Amino acid sequence: MNRLKKLLGHNETYLGAVIVVFALIITIVNPAFIKLDNLFGLMKSSSGTAILAIGFLLVLLTGDVDVSAPAIAISAQYIAVNTLIAIDSNSLLLAFVIAIVVGLVYGAINAFFITTFKLPALIVTLGTANLFHGGLLEFVGTKAVNTGQLPDAFKVFGHASIFDLTRADGSSYGLSIFIAVVAVLLLVTWLILRFTLMGRGIYAIGGDAESARRAGFNIKRIQYFIYMYVGLLAGIMGILHISLIRYGNPNYIVDTELLRVIAAVVLGGAVITGGKGTLVGTILGVTMITILEKNLVLIGLSSYWQQFFVGLIIVVGVALTHIQATLRSHHKVVVIKSQ
Amino acid sequence: MGELFLEARNISKAYEGVQALDNVGLSLGKGSIHCLVGENGSGKSTLIKIIGGVVTSDAGEIVIDGGHFHHLSAIESIREGIQIIYQDLSLFPNLTVAENISLNQMVERRTQVVDWKEIRAIAERALVELGEEIDLNILVEDLSVARKQVVAIGRALTQNAKLIIMDEPTSAITREEVDHLFEVIHRLKAKGIGTLFVSHKLNEVFEIAETVTVLRDGRKVGDYDASDLTNDKLTFLMTGETIEYHPYTVDSQVVSEPPVLEVRNLTRKDEYTDVSFSVRRGEILGITGLIGSGRTEVALSVCGLNQPHSGEILVESEPVTIGSPRKANQLGISYLPEDRLTQGLFQHQSIGDNTVIAILRRLLSKLGLIDWTEKTRVQDHWVNELAIKTPSAEVSASSLSGGNQQRVVLAKWLATEPKVFFLDGPTIGIDIGSKSNIHEIIRELARKGMAIVMISDEIEEVRNNCNRILIMRKGRIAGEIEDPTSVDDAEIFRQISGKNGSEVPRT
Repeated sequence: MNRLKKLLGHNETYLGAVIVVFALIITIVNPAFIKLDNLFGLMKSSSGTAILAIGFLLVLLTGDVDVSAPAIAISAQYIAVNTLIAIDSNSLLLAFVIAIVVGLVYGAINAFFITTFKLPALIVTLGTANLFHGGLLEFVGTKAVNTGQLPDAFKVFGHASIFDLTRADGSSYGLSIFIAVVAVLLLVTWLILRFTLMGRGIYAIGGDAESARRAGFNIKRIQYFIYMYVGLLAGIMGILHISLIRYGNPNYIVDTELLRVIAAVVLGGAVITGGKGTLVGTILGVTMITILEKNLVLIGLSSYWQQFFVGLIIVVGVALTHIQATLRSHHKVVVIKSQ
Repeated sequence: MGELFLEARNISKAYEGVQALDNVGLSLGKGSIHCLVGENGSGKSTLIKIIGGVVTSDAGEIVIDGGHFHHLSAIESIREGIQIIYQDLSLFPNLTVAENISLNQMVERRTQVVDWKEIRAIAERALVELGEEIDLNILVEDLSVARKQVVAIGRALTQNAKLIIMDEPTSAITREEVDHLFEVIHRLKAKGIGTLFVSHKLNEVFEIAETVTVLRDGRKVGDYDASDLTNDKLTFLMTGETIEYHPYTVDSQVVSEPPVLEVRNLTRKDEYTDVSFSVRRGEILGITGLIGSGRTEVALSVCGLNQPHSGEILVESEPVTIGSPRKANQLGISYLPEDRLTQGLFQHQSIGDNTVIAILRRLLSKLGLIDWTEKTRVQDHWVNELAIKTPSAEVSASSLSGGNQQRVVLAKWLATEPKVFFLDGPTIGIDIGSKSNIHEIIRELARKGMAIVMISDEIEEVRNNCNRILIMRKGRIAGEIEDPTSVDDAEIFRQISGKNGSEVPRT
């Protein structure tokens, strides 16, 4: 009973229920939706969004917003791929190393401006996002990397699966290795948030930054960690992204991912002012956004509705968490008065 | 005093040429309950920060348990068992009680991996030591201020506190909660843990303090036995002036006039019931009661900010409905909020902008634009009228002292030329010296014919300044005092609390 009560107190429970209902409706319209190969496909295609969402959540937990992750992701990807082509290498490991190093360096640049000049991350990352992306186009190039040029290692990685299943017609499909990457990152992030003082410090800053400072947390160190971690995640996401679509364009990711990520994290119940939010909620948020985006056409709506819905989710999501907070404080006033 | 725990000797500190502390000493006994008082700017917060190691003194030394420190650092101070609980309590609203109590200790130990069992164990131990029970899994944001204080004290205990310094601990909690806090402090004392209260006003803290140290203008005035101090004496020690109050009286002619405002059987569920009162021109009507007695809620209702469920409001004998602050304004009713910093003042706007904000409509020229000549005239008029200490009305309100800020808020509402003026806690957070000035302004307004309703939980304030007092208790009017000069503070307190004198504050 107590357990049930606790479960009902979580946003995640309701979001999960909405997803189930939504999935049922889509299955009724299109029974193919619930088939495993479709679900596996959805998971694979949304893994990039999931990785960026993890990073976005971390920053949001401290009460800040980092909008530069997509720019870091595309920069890391494009620099890594072009380096591999230039030195004629086919090493996926090297690609990951380059992308991650780029991500860490760019993250450190963000952290430097944020901690040194005590600026809001939103302003800094709005600037650096354009700095990183503009720098990429100017100094690295604007040419697309087509499938023929792309080193095979990416294509192999994009096709690799954890296990394979066979369809009735004899063709096979599998659960992408991407899912394992996301799972590992989720696990690592969860461990950090839950079981390290660094992680508790992230929640503490979001609760009250001044109190965190007084408690003895090294705010600067935590901020460097967060923004570099976001850079690392973005670097990994960049490699996954090109391995998935097997085509590299230096203008990808920057325009498409940001709003989707924000919508997913907000939908997952993270509070925009910081201190509250969970990985489970974030992953559910990504799931909801993905299902919504891929299936609007199925229920007879044009694809333009996508954008409309993502915007709607952000506005309604933020409003809902705010209303909840207000209700909470009202409730408190009544409690105090009735004493 | 018994054995000494901490001694601050000959402490001096200057900020940019201003001497914040001049050769000040402070001695605290082991497990003693001590109070440090002084007006804003007297140097008490600087002294606390030096003891906490947050600020380094220019001269002098701190002796803790026999160890001498010339430059005490924050970490040394904590290691020596000194814990400061700031007024904001420095808690994390989004984390559980358990984590709030334990986190500081984990940080100090430089633990990297968090053991949740240990977090609970540390918190449990601290609460047991305090003799308190709070659900460890509750988020701190869901606790009352008083419970939050207990959490903050619990956290201090996890750091092996021997001295807990509390900044204005009783300003935001109810009378019962104050009593409870005092129990906790006595329990700490029994364990040899001392408490140092820091305060800038005369309040409940004096019930429990053993010794009082008074600071004025960065110098120590002296140490006093709390039992030897009276309100008047302490005021004199803090300000260096004797402030005398003459009771406020209204002539009988005024009293015979019909009331400007009359409230009949006003009720709002869960807040107040069956409240009736009236106020005439020239009167200063006091309303006093504990936090939660309904005093503020009633005022908010009359001022259009808190809709009553039933009852009648009459302005100049006409029944009215007041659905918004704007309507209240049109009827000539203004409200000075309790919390001027968040509700009454635009900190970063100029004094002038603050003054005219409620009467902008009246400053419009025929073209519908603001008439700047008129605006300048109005703002200068009020700066002069209320003697706001500023070089110009264009200066930002945040640059003013508390007393002057309060005058700006007063000016804003006075500019609306109200017939009835509700003042909720008109001198909260204001120095004693400025307080009497504000009181004089209020009396002058009443003498000129305004009807004033003064809401305050400072008994002395209403008794000294009002010609009539209403006492609210648990949402009802529990009594009316027609002649405040005929009763003493203790009697009023009895009526407020509904108790029989056993716990009357020593004021």
